[in-house]
Amino acid sequence: MTPALRRAARKVAGGLLALLLPPCAAGAEIAGRVELPRQLNAPVKTQNYEPVASGGALAPVKPAAVVYLEGEFPPANPAPTVQLVQKGQAFIPALLPIQVGTKVEFPNYDDLYHNVFSFSPPKRFDLGRYRTEDRPVPSQVFDKLGLVTLRCEIHSHMRGQILVLGTPHFVTTDEHGNFRLTGLPAGRFVVKAWLDAATTHARPVELGPDTVLRVDFP
Amino acid sequence: MRWVRVVISCLAAGAAATAWASDAWFDRLEERLAVSAWDDAVRARLSGILSLEGYAISQPPPGLVFTRSNRLFNPRLALFLNGQAGPRLFGFVQARVDRGFDPATERLRLRLDEYAVTFVPRAGTALSVQVGQFASVIGNWMARHDSWENPFVTAPLPYEHQTSIYDSEAPLSLDDFVSFDPAEKYEYNPIIWGPSYATGAAVAGKLGRFELALEVKNGGPSSRPELWSIRDLGFDRPAFAARLGFRPDLRWKLGFSASDSAYLAPGAEHLPAGTSWRDFRQRLLGQEVSYAWRHLQVWAEVFQVWFEVPRVGTVRTVAGYIEAKYKFNPRIYGAVRWNRQGFSALSDGAGGRVRWGSSLWRVDVAAGYRFTARLVLKLQASGQREAGQHENLRMNYASQLNLRF
Repeated sequence: MTPALRRAARKVAGGLLALLLPPCAAGAEIAGRVELPRQLNAPVKTQNYEPVASGGALAPVKPAAVVYLEGEFPPANPAPTVQLVQKGQAFIPALLPIQVGTKVEFPNYDDLYHNVFSFSPPKRFDLGRYRTEDRPVPSQVFDKLGLVTLRCEIHSHMRGQILVLGTPHFVTTDEHGNFRLTGLPAGRFVVKAWLDAATTHARPVELGPDTVLRVDFP
Repeated sequence: MRWVRVVISCLAAGAAATAWASDAWFDRLEERLAVSAWDDAVRARLSGILSLEGYAISQPPPGLVFTRSNRLFNPRLALFLNGQAGPRLFGFVQARVDRGFDPATERLRLRLDEYAVTFVPRAGTALSVQVGQFASVIGNWMARHDSWENPFVTAPLPYEHQTSIYDSEAPLSLDDFVSFDPAEKYEYNPIIWGPSYATGAAVAGKLGRFELALEVKNGGPSSRPELWSIRDLGFDRPAFAARLGFRPDLRWKLGFSASDSAYLAPGAEHLPAGTSWRDFRQRLLGQEVSYAWRHLQVWAEVFQVWFEVPRVGTVRTVAGYIEAKYKFNPRIYGAVRWNRQGFSALSDGAGGRVRWGSSLWRVDVAAGYRFTARLVLKLQASGQREAGQHENLRMNYASQLNLRF
């Protein structure tokens, strides 16, 4: 094959690839702000029957929302693995959006026991007690859509949430409610802002290949 | 058949409660029961456990259960108020509405069981000072004695089995001392009365893998609930206790406890001339070990206790248990506990020996079913065999439905 022919073949292949690639390569963007609920009251450190009490204060959970693009999307391949850690007697992050099929690991970075469990219908599990150095790190694959509330058997104030979504296009807001969704496909979709189990705002959007939209909720 | 009805009733009550209120509803209630102010410097939280407890028992009733009936229903609402001012000052109150501190055939009443202020002198250090009415530092059961943490309905044997010791008067003779009268069951004392919420102060600290706690209170381990309040007694019979703990890693906990206290109640009658109720001591040595990893938890404790009994001399008892709990899945756990207590022998003055208590063993088996994250049903069966008059295996049953909020 001559160099000219090789260049032409590359161009054709590039063009075909561009046609075959999913629309997400287009890179539309939605930015905006979600009005967040007020911060919950800070938890009290309870050590009623601890042999030795320690000082300190537990950090309050900052409110946040998850903004995502609803639509029909293929599952991620391979399924991603993410971590949700236990540190300072809190789940970090307190709100974790994932795409369905994602594996979540739950390392314990505290020098005390936790016992992560969930009774939520999309995923019921109990990881028991384990140390920082225990391997493999206990994990769960979340294969059903919905909200999973995480709790700790030992520290009742600990609460975490995993929002299992059918889309790869999601983001968690910052503590002021600001968000930016990038790399979005072109098409007609509904963009949603999830605040809690009872509150989800929705807005239809039409995205072109390079659309930049601003959407505020509510 | 009666027991089957109890189980069916509990399951029905659990199912009804599950349908009535979801975890999400109680999560929102929990959020409303917490307050904070001054940029979160001051915080408070109200929480509770609602327990519906049922007993199907043979007479005389086992442990710290007081009824002449073979069945007892004991509803209990335990309310906990936790507060915090800054990073070094903590407060805690527990109040209960129930039919007596120990399950009994009484009317429902509100009672203040615990209150404590804990001060941590230096932030970042594991050293604390606690003052108030609170659970003893002895042993490892205190940390898990509430109905949510305890895998069983009842306490381990050392914390509830009543011996021939009684604190309201001195025995007139050895025969008088060893003749346990089931009809007057409440007059007798176990070696440790439940969580022993006596009033006093404790200092506790942690250094590396070691923990040390020292406490001085107004009642020893065997003292009865009526004597725990500072209002009723004051501090004229200080009781001393200590616990040294060692934790090689998160899975293991080892501990040694000791206490020294007067065991007779103030004003105890029939004392030998020239003696005071303060002269007769209860001394306790305890050893404990616990293990927890993944879904398995194991606890074991052994107590050796000496009582100086007027006109009788020093009597000794050894009591202990080993207990294991395993969670089979998020909903179901099983637990088994083997308890044992033995008593020393005394000379009867006629060349013979007499034991001051009936040696016994007891096996407790329990299963728990968790309806939701906040609702659990416990069922317990206990078989007990005593040397002497109750040599037949005595079976007792208990159930408990707990809702935590």
